[in-house]
Amino acid sequence: MISVRELTKRYGPTAAVDRLSFDVRPGVVTGFLGPNGAGKSTTLRIILGLHRPTSGEALIGGRRYERIRRPLHEVGAVLDADTAHPGRTAFHHLACLARSNGIGGSRVAAVLERVGLADVAHKRVGGFSLGMRQRLGIAAALLGDPAVVLLDEPVNGLDAAGIRWIRSTLRSLAAEGRTVLLSSHLMSEMALTVDHVLIIGRGRLLAETSMEQVRARSGRDVLVRSPRAADLAVVLTGLGASVTADGDGGLVAVGVDAPTIGDAAAAASIPLHGLTPRSATLEEVYLEMTGDAAEYRAVAERTTR
Amino acid sequence: MTTTTIVDDTAAPTAPRPPAFRDAVAAEWMKLRTVRTTYALLAGAAAATLLGLTVLALLVQDYDRAAPAERAAFEAADPTVAVMPFVGFLIGSIGAMVITSEYTTGSIGPGLLAVPQRGLLLGAKATVAATVGAIGGLLFALLSCVGTIVLLGDRPAPLNPWPTWTDAVPTVVGAALVVLTTSAVALGLGAVLRSTAATLVTLGGLGLVVPMFAHALPTTLHLLLASILIPNLAPQLAGADHPYLLSPVGAAAAAVVWVVAALAAGAFALDRRDAG
Repeated sequence: MISVRELTKRYGPTAAVDRLSFDVRPGVVTGFLGPNGAGKSTTLRIILGLHRPTSGEALIGGRRYERIRRPLHEVGAVLDADTAHPGRTAFHHLACLARSNGIGGSRVAAVLERVGLADVAHKRVGGFSLGMRQRLGIAAALLGDPAVVLLDEPVNGLDAAGIRWIRSTLRSLAAEGRTVLLSSHLMSEMALTVDHVLIIGRGRLLAETSMEQVRARSGRDVLVRSPRAADLAVVLTGLGASVTADGDGGLVAVGVDAPTIGDAAAAASIPLHGLTPRSATLEEVYLEMTGDAAEYRAVAERTTR
Repeated sequence: MTTTTIVDDTAAPTAPRPPAFRDAVAAEWMKLRTVRTTYALLAGAAAATLLGLTVLALLVQDYDRAAPAERAAFEAADPTVAVMPFVGFLIGSIGAMVITSEYTTGSIGPGLLAVPQRGLLLGAKATVAATVGAIGGLLFALLSCVGTIVLLGDRPAPLNPWPTWTDAVPTVVGAALVVLTTSAVALGLGAVLRSTAATLVTLGGLGLVVPMFAHALPTTLHLLLASILIPNLAPQLAGADHPYLLSPVGAAAAAVVWVVAALAAGAFALDRRDAG
């Protein structure tokens, strides 16, 4: 269980995180979604004790991270792909971290096996690809077999195979009953991995919802074409739909589905030349949900200059 | 609502119980052993020792060719001058890199995630830096003094600084303590500066540049300043013939002040600033 309460982090006059409060429950994969600069990484770093909050608090299992002794046994984190000394071998990189938490060498070998790096365990990290470094980061997070796993933008810069691997790894971690919190600026990535999503913008919580609800929001409107567009508009408005012209001779109807439009047009003997249900992509839903925040930020930035 | 202020965050980390500290030290020791830079710097210190001894060998050769009257004017063949400043700089670089290499490579992040009690982490790093300084200092001071004794044979003062070989013991101990001090101070500076290059430049500046500017000061001030510079503590710790002001105890106190001040600054910086 992670609880964030009224968390604020200021850099001079700018609030990177602004009175942010949320809980991350165990047993589900929670996504932390927001545009670049929304405060996701800062929040994760405060949760992990790397950054100091200006005010508020972030607790894991009721304690600040710095108060946890041998924390690798309780929390695993992947913050950045480039966090290993390039001159050290993968095995030694993990062994150094493991040693500080009283974890033995056999566990190091086991996590390297799990992330598929056993063959390169004794190669220097400097020669690793981004995907391999990302796997090494996940290996480090799993060293102490923690119940809570946090990942900051784990798929950034990865190729398709790497993304698929991360996705299946996260799913299996959740299936093992762990609490998984991952941040991303990609809704499409979230859709495939998470159960619960926290959307933040400008350091504030904009929405907290299940992935189910996000999907439900993605049904959007229907594009209709008819030689008698004006008559059809009256009929559709009568059905309670809101209708606008798309500027290309077509009508965009919101609040009514395609079969209803077809039936109503037939009943009124209005010919239809086109009937296209359009659904928003998850990215569009996400942009709708964060759009205000992004706009507000642009305005705020202009006015402070 | 609970408000956590920065002041609350700087409270002393949970009292480090011995096993946690021991594990942290063991981890830091492993970090040092598993990068090639450490061995490169040790090899550099060995090379500096050989080079210094070569210079002393040339001095001895000159001495043998000189007329008796000239021999009386020779400087002592002192390895603490010809060898140890370079050894101190190279071993001190290892001490600095115990922390600066983590900032440069980003591995400070995982390091702090594994040991989030920052005082404990710095304590473990300081222990390792000081140990490397003590062992490396002792090793190379011993090598260079034994090498010098062999080179000198039964040649007398002023070329020979030690009437008998036992007189070299305080020199070895003093030189080793100075390398230990250098390494621990380098770690503290490294925690503040977060950069190997900046730390080494500062360290070099303290050892080389400050003495040069000090010459511009009035003699008494100059002497006082020169007496507390880390490399100059070696002869004062040994209680040998030297132009400085401190007794061995005073020099030891100066070394302790250097280490405590540098580590306190490092602890403050590590605790106050965001990391990783």
